Amino acid sequence: MENIIDSVLLTLPAKAEYVSTARLVASSIANRIGFDIDEIEDVKVAVSEVCSTFVKKTATSCEYIIQFMIKDSTLMVSFKCPCFTGDIFADEDEALASAIITALMDKVEFHPNSETIISMCKSIGENV
Amino acid sequence: MSGELKITQEVLPEYVNMGLSGEVDISSSQIFKEKLYSLIEVYSRSIRLDCTGLSYIDSTGLGILVGALKKTKQTDHTIIIKGLKENIKKLFYITGLDKIFVMEE
Repeated sequence: MENIIDSVLLTLPAKAEYVSTARLVASSIANRIGFDIDEIEDVKVAVSEVCSTFVKKTATSCEYIIQFMIKDSTLMVSFKCPCFTGDIFADEDEALASAIITALMDKVEFHPNSETIISMCKSIGENV
Repeated sequence: MSGELKITQEVLPEYVNMGLSGEVDISSSQIFKEKLYSLIEVYSRSIRLDCTGLSYIDSTGLGILVGALKKTKQTDHTIIIKGLKENIKKLFYITGLDKIFVMEE
């Protein structure tokens, strides 16, 4: 088995109308890896929640970058947003989003004040 | 894709039936909020949300539901949520919202 990581980069404007684009791409990649329908839904929902939070917290002139990295049966997703610094889920308003993401993905890491703001991963068959 | 949010309403003596189909996300949440809040204010009765056609709702939409529930409780009414798909029901369980709303199959 080759130890190759495929990488897909998606840059989106921080506008509400593009969050569905992130959902489509996330679903497509999760499907490509071989996740089942429930796992695809989990990835889609988690990615969408992060994107929505960027849209809420940054100006519409900003962009954010989603990097999907695929290694065997694991999907890693990381988010960067040059316009944003700090803890993306610090506010009480984001408690629901944070709870959803943490529950749906196998591992979620928050990196306040670094270039990658949040990263998360999910592997096939490790459904909660 | 089952994308665009469609909302229907039917005013009955005991409650207002609000039908949702499509997706409630950050781009459609404002329309959803305005419609739901205006039904609560205008008719002052419980809301029965028929979610049979709802394919997706995010935390923004869930937050609006919580706000709307508080509003209905002020007049001793409630929000009944009916016909959720399994993928959305899962979000209610994760967030604990299944315990504060009246849920119907």
